[in-house]
Order: sequence, then structure tokens, then C-alpha cells
Amino acid sequence: MKSLKWLVLLIASVLVLGACSGGNGASTKSKDGKIQISFINGFTGGDGAYMKKITDGFNASQDKYEIVESQEKEHYTKYKSGDYDLVVIHGNNLETYRLDGMIQDVGSLYEKAGLKESDFHKAGMDLAKLDGKLYGFPIDIHPLTMFYNKEFVNEAPKTYEDILKLNQELQAKNKDLYALGVPSTGLVEFYMLMIAAQNGVDLKDGNALNFAQPEFADALMTFHDMVWKDKVSPAGLGLDGEFKTFMKEAESGKAVQSAVALTGPWFYGAAKEKYGDNLGIAPIPQIGKQPAAYGNAHMLAVSASVKDEQVKEGIAEFVKYMFTPENLINWADGGQAPVHLKTIEKVTAEQDKYQIAYQNSLQFDSFVAPPQVYQYGEQIRYMNEKVFSKLVTTEKLTKEQLMKELESATKKAQQIAETEPK
Amino acid sequence: MRRKQKNIIVVTLAVLIAVLFLLPLVWMVFTSFKTLSESMSSSAILPNVWTLQNYIDIFSPTSDAPILLWVFNTAVITIIGTVLVVAIDILAAYSLARLQVPGKKIIIGTIIIALTVPGIVTLFPAFYMFKSFNLLDTFIPLVLPYTASTMGVFLIYNFLISFPKDLEEAAYLDGASQMQILRHVIFPAIKPVAVTLGVITFMGIYNDYLWPSLVINSNEMKTMTLGIATLIQGSNFVNPAGMMAATVVATIPAIVVFLVANKYFVKSVTNSGIK
Amino acid sequence: MHKGTSTKTWAILMVSPFILCFILFWLAPMFLGVWVSLHNWNLSSGNNGFIGLQNYIDILTPGSLYNEAFMLALKNTLVFVVISVPPLVIIALGLALILDHLPAKLKPVFRTIYFVSYSISVTAVSAIFLWLFNENGGFINNLLVSMGILGKPINWLSEQPYAWVSVLIATVWWTIGFNMMLFINALDEVDPSLYEASDLDGANGFKKFIYITLPQIKHVAFFIIIMTVIASFNLYGQSRLITAGGPEQSTTTLTMSIQNAVFGMNQLGVGSSMAILMGIIMLLVTAAQYFMSYRKKEVN
Repeated sequence: MKSLKWLVLLIASVLVLGACSGGNGASTKSKDGKIQISFINGFTGGDGAYMKKITDGFNASQDKYEIVESQEKEHYTKYKSGDYDLVVIHGNNLETYRLDGMIQDVGSLYEKAGLKESDFHKAGMDLAKLDGKLYGFPIDIHPLTMFYNKEFVNEAPKTYEDILKLNQELQAKNKDLYALGVPSTGLVEFYMLMIAAQNGVDLKDGNALNFAQPEFADALMTFHDMVWKDKVSPAGLGLDGEFKTFMKEAESGKAVQSAVALTGPWFYGAAKEKYGDNLGIAPIPQIGKQPAAYGNAHMLAVSASVKDEQVKEGIAEFVKYMFTPENLINWADGGQAPVHLKTIEKVTAEQDKYQIAYQNSLQFDSFVAPPQVYQYGEQIRYMNEKVFSKLVTTEKLTKEQLMKELESATKKAQQIAETEPK
Repeated sequence: MRRKQKNIIVVTLAVLIAVLFLLPLVWMVFTSFKTLSESMSSSAILPNVWTLQNYIDIFSPTSDAPILLWVFNTAVITIIGTVLVVAIDILAAYSLARLQVPGKKIIIGTIIIALTVPGIVTLFPAFYMFKSFNLLDTFIPLVLPYTASTMGVFLIYNFLISFPKDLEEAAYLDGASQMQILRHVIFPAIKPVAVTLGVITFMGIYNDYLWPSLVINSNEMKTMTLGIATLIQGSNFVNPAGMMAATVVATIPAIVVFLVANKYFVKSVTNSGIK
Repeated sequence: MHKGTSTKTWAILMVSPFILCFILFWLAPMFLGVWVSLHNWNLSSGNNGFIGLQNYIDILTPGSLYNEAFMLALKNTLVFVVISVPPLVIIALGLALILDHLPAKLKPVFRTIYFVSYSISVTAVSAIFLWLFNENGGFINNLLVSMGILGKPINWLSEQPYAWVSVLIATVWWTIGFNMMLFINALDEVDPSLYEASDLDGANGFKKFIYITLPQIKHVAFFIIIMTVIASFNLYGQSRLITAGGPEQSTTTLTMSIQNAVFGMNQLGVGSSMAILMGIIMLLVTAAQYFMSYRKKEVN
């Protein structure tokens, strides 16, 4: 590593001398003497503005520290290759960053910020705690959420039977109306792990994901049957099909529409704009053997490179500011469901205002966390990109064929797991 | 009479194809005036309700898509990059074609090999180099790497070796310096190729998506091409109407530049030495 | 020799900016890439030591994760090269011929229309076609169903072969203008006296095209084919943004796969090896084309 750097240095020094006035060095002080803390997250959509309210609020609240926030689509790539103090990591990625040695144990920061484990809902703490230590502050959990269109359905379906019944009614009315839509790509990881959780299947096997379980194949076949046997969903919906179908207007022979969407809470804004008071939100129905919710979470983590005590103090201050109901409520306002208990209380007290945060907080008790394995995203990539799509687009798919695909997915996951740093 | 019939057929065909070419652009413009819910639900080409909201959103100071800044960034790097590449390549090609450069054969051989090597081979190492010098997220990696392209040297070199030397020799005998020869004899002659190279380079930098996505971190430093990609892939929901409004704003300057440059480009391609 | 500085000094002075840039931004990264490809290099944990050709062996050993990713992407990329080069060349020539036969007044108008989409960036093109090809009630489906061309909507982006067709249509719409311009240039340079001679012989339009036009524009055509093959090999933006590599990873191209090896799996060493293998493959394909066209030139 060192020798390479020198090689590069030698070759390119000419360039730098000629073209550059120098990088920004290691200074963490701003012009007005505040200690700067760099913070990167992936909130590039509508929720970015709400996080910004929190960081701006913090910066205005005191004069010792300054959070320099960047919101980036490819924020993981940037985090890996950049130099940031604070980062938002998804619940299912925390283990990877821990094993790669890119984040640090934040137990002492909890103390500094005056926070305790019991200040958070257990579902969030399960995600933050790895190997007995705390590696992050859980900001929110965003589970698979159900939207429904009150024009077509008065009461949210609670079971698969309700969905079947709803579909019959809608189909009797109009052939282009369906109960819901099953996408072929997009949010499908949520779908797969939700159905695993609802059937009591644990995919984690050592440090790898094991998809090749007959019970999991049975569970997955539910989605195949939803499209091809029970026909509660139209076939061939592509990326984000569950939401796009929900937003369509049925048009004979041209466009199909669904009354219900099992989708991500981040689509709330768009759905609300279209349906207004006709938009209903509810916890997801029970499709498998037992009720269970699945989703992902945002965790605030601290880079392993942060050693400076002053920076740590600043981070603790920021954490303390963020996990105060008056401040974190901004995040609920943006449609996310905080797991900080006092903030949940505030959300519950004003449940009409924080409709989606409230409905999703109801799912916390039955929330099943993503399996904590190294490179989770890569381990499940083949399932996301290949297997699920095949599952819902192949009419004559048998369980045997599915098992074969699950076996190759497992083989890939195991090879990914082997790249874990020793 | 027969000629006229033939003309009508050809013109009709040309018009039909023109419609196909323009349809996506027309759709883009109309969609940008739709409301969010209509852009999601209806597929009629004309909006039912016309709205300027999408454009208002783009230009609002809180917008997470600072399109004008992206257009500005793009203008800066494409102009600087193109001028740099064309200048460097003309000098090198002239030198290789006309003067005694030591190791000429090796240089030209390397240039031809480099021509076919895809950009991805040097992409990640180059990224690492810029990273180790803390140059990420600046204009430097967005401009300088393009100067290594060998395409321009190759084009101009090829043109020059098939171009008669008489004029240069005459000027040389008249006592003109190398620089004078370059300016008054060579440059006018290679102008068409240089313009073609300029256009190809400009489009290359303008269109590059993978490289800027690696070296640019902040929203304020993005190029237009990269910016639009982040809108498409936004981790949250982006409505089609808003995306089309962004695309319209980003595309208009390009089309204007293109329509102005079109005439020169047509001439230059027509005269250039690509044979 | 000559007043002031010698030509040799001038030669070196003039060529050196290019040489310098070339070394810094091509040769150095190139060597660095080869060097990294011989190491077990992880993006997060750094260099874990020299491993010789192990990365290459892993990629070329059937059954391994990297082999499956690379081979699938190579296959997908080759599919695109095969399906895209003929239309990108033939349609471009067709458009050039149509323009050639238009009345002189209309020529510039249509030439500009056919060429204008080339000025749009790849991401904007993808944004447009992503929504045009939307499956459920998208504009193209609606148009085709309304016109009675389609009985029922097509799943353009989530079913093959339509996903390739979508990427191909977007690519043709976007880039065809450039090839067309090169053909226009070539057609303009065909000696008119050749046509006059054939008119006297009473040759029809098709014969004139085969026996006069085609041989005259052959060299430009070869140039265009080679350029188009290289461009199609490098397919990235359209398949990343329009189909996101799907359905079932069938439009995941080499560039996308390499990017994932580096930034998804963190395997910088493996990714570098894949990139170098891709470079070698392209070098061979281009060289083969070049020699084929060169030999044909010799025969004539």
C-alpha cells in the first residue's frame, strides 16, 4: 500500500504542482472557529429536507460545533472512498461495516449523550447491537407499508382471505382492477424477507444466507400464486410495479390499477398528493402463517477514523440534539417512523398529523430484523435481481425449479460470505 | 413527372421518420407540464391540467436538483476540456507527422493500441490516483483525464500524413518559424478535422456518466449528465413530470449549442479526413 | 540548421504535453491497474497481499462467483453488440440515402431533426425512454394499442427480448445521427460522373447503389462499423438506467459487472482483472475487424 502510494506520488506530482492549489488538509475547524463534523447520508429524495432541518437546527442551537452534511445517492461508495465522521447506514449493512472495520463501538457516546438502550424500541436496538456492542443510533425503521385506496376498499385488509375477497369484488366491477400488485424488481427484498418472517423461516445460516430451504420455497411460491393462481395481482409489473399500479387509473385493455399497495413509506408523499383523504395506511396484512413485519432501518454510525475527543464530544452533542422529541419529530414529519420511544409517544399523541409514522410504529412489535451477515446486500443480490423476477414472471414455475434457483443463490451467498475479512 | 412522384415518396418517408425522432422530445416537453398525479396515472400525451409547478420546484432554492449549477459545471468542464484536448492533440500530431520526434514509431504504435483499450481498464486506478491526492470532488478529475485520449492525435496525424507538404516547405524556405508554420499553414488546413475532434471530445465529456459518478461527491459539483442520473436513481420517489422538467431544462442549452454548432460540424465532417 | 531553436527541440516541445498527459492519465493508471489485479485488494480493508494470477484464475474457473458474473456479463454484452451494430449501421446508411434524395432545400431541415437527439445526454435519453416504455399504461404501449398494432400491452422493460429492444431503440434514437453524418459525408464524395455514366447504361437505382455507391463508401463503412462495435461493447448508461440490468440480470453488461465487483463486492483486485480481460477481448475483436477490412482492401 505504501509503496504504491509513493509510485503514484512520483508519477503524478507534476500534475499536482501544475494544476492544484492543494486539498483541504486535515483541519476540522471552520472559519469562525467551530469544530466541523462531516456527515454523509443517502437521503436524496424527499426526506433529505427533513434531515436537513435537524442538522440546520443543531448548527443554529450552539456555537461550538458545525455539522457539514452531504446527501448523496451513492453515499456508501462515497463513504468508503471519502473521509467522513458520521454516516447513516442501513440496518442490514451495519454488520458489514463493522466487520470491515469502518465504524466504531459507540457505547461510550450513548453515555456522553445521556442516552440509554431503553430509550429506544427494542426493534431498533436489535439492529444496533452487534456482537454485544452498540454500533449505531437507530433513527427509524421503515417497514413494508400498506397503502389502500378508500375509493375501492373501506377497511384495510388484514389477512390474505381479505385480499382474495377484495380482488373478487374489484374484478366483478372492472377487469382492470386488482387487489394489489406484485413487482418483479425494486422492493422485492422486502417482499421476500417479509414472507420468510411471516412463515417463521430464518435465512441466516452461520455467516451466510441460506435460501435453499423448502419452507422458504413454499413461502416464496405465495407470490407466484398471487399472480398466476389467485390472480390478485396483474402479471408483468416491472420495477416498483406495486406502487406504479396503485397510482394508475384503470383504462380498458391499456392500464390496470390496484386498490392496495404493499410498498415503501417513502412513496407516501406522492400517494397523498394524488389521493388526499382517500389514501388509507395500515400495517401489512398477514399473508403467511403468522403476522410479522419486515423492513429496513436507518442507523447513525460513527466512522472508525474518529479518534479526536473534541469531535466525539461534538457527535455526542449532535446525537443528544437529534434524539429529542421536538427535533426528531421532523423526521416523522418526513414520513419516517422513529424508534426513539419518547418521539413515538409524540407521534402517537398526534397520530393524524404523523399518519404514516404512526401506522408504521404499530408494526415495530412484530418487526423481524434483517439477518446480520457480512455483505448482506451482495449475498441477496441474485435473489433480488434474478430469482424473484423469475418467480413472479414464470407462469409454469414449479417448486423444484425454484429450489434449484435458491440453491445457486445460496452458493453465491456463501462465496460472498467467504470474502469476510478474517 | 416521375421525378416528382419519387420526390413525394421520399419526402413523405422523411417526414414519417422525423415524427419518430421528434416524438420522444415532444412527449418530454408535454409531460413536464403535467401534475404529479396525472404524470403517474395518465398516458395521454397532452396534459389535462397544465402546471408550471415542476419548473417552480426546480428553480426553488430548496430544490435538491440545482440544475442551473449543473449546466454551468458542464459548460465549464466541456469547454476547458475540449480546448485543452484539441490544442494538445494538434501540437502532438503535427510534431509526430512532420518533425523528428525521438521514438516516433513506439509512440504511434502505443497510440494505436491505446485507441482500442476500453476506458474501464484505467477507470478505477485513475480514480484511486485522484483519491490519493485528495482531488476528488473538484473540476480537475473532470477535465484532465480526457487529455490522455489518443483519438485526436490519431485523427489529425492521419490527416497530416496524407496532406501535401509543399506549402509548409515553401513557408519554411521563406524563413517562417515552426510556430508561424503551424499557425498560418497547418492550422487552416486541419481546421475541419480539428472541429470534428472538438465535437467528438465535447460530446464525450458531456456524456460521460460513469467517471463523474466516481469522482464527484457533492451535489454542487455534479455535471448535468450525472445530475439527471441521480434523479432517475433517487433512493426515494421522483415523479416523472418533475424528472422531465429537469430533463428539459438540462437539454435546452445542449440543443441550442448544438443547433448553432450544427452548421460548422456538418461542414467539418463533410471535409474531414475520416475515410 | 534553422534560425533559433532546432526542429528537434520543437518536436519534443510540441509532443511533450500530450506524452505527459498520456503517461499520467493512461499509462500510469494502466500499470497501476495491472499491479492491483495481481493483488488481493479489498476496497474497505486495503491491500491484502500479492497473489499472482489468482484473480484471473478465479474469473476463468467455471463455477466461481466471479466467473459466473463475468461470463454472464460478457454474454449479455456480446448479445447487444450483435443486435445493435447492424441497425446502427444500416439505419444510419438508410437515413443518409433518404437525405441524399431529398430536394436540396429540405435537406438541412431533416438532417438537423435526425441529428438533434445526439445532443441529448445519455442520462436524459434514459429518463425519457424509461417512462415512454413504462409497462402499465406507458405512452408507447398506449399508442400501439390505440393504433391496433398491439392486442395487449407489452412488458417492455421486464421481459426479454423486449428489454433489449427497448435499450436498442433508445440507443438508435440517441446515437444514429452521428453515423448518419459520416455516411452523408461519404455519399457526398462519390464522384457524380460515375452516376452519369451508369445513367447512360440505363442502370436502375438499386443497381447504382450496389455497384457504384457501396464500393465508394466502403472505407467509411468499415470505420463506422469498428467505432460502433467499440461503442456497443461499452454499453453502460442505457442498460443501467433504463432496465437496471434486468430482467433477471439479462442486460447486465461487462462495465456494470465490473463496477459491481469493485463497489458492491469491494473486490478491487478482481474488478481490475475483469477490466483488463475486457480490454484484451476488445483488443482482439477490434484487431480481427481491422485485419478483415484491411485484407479486403488489399484484394481490391
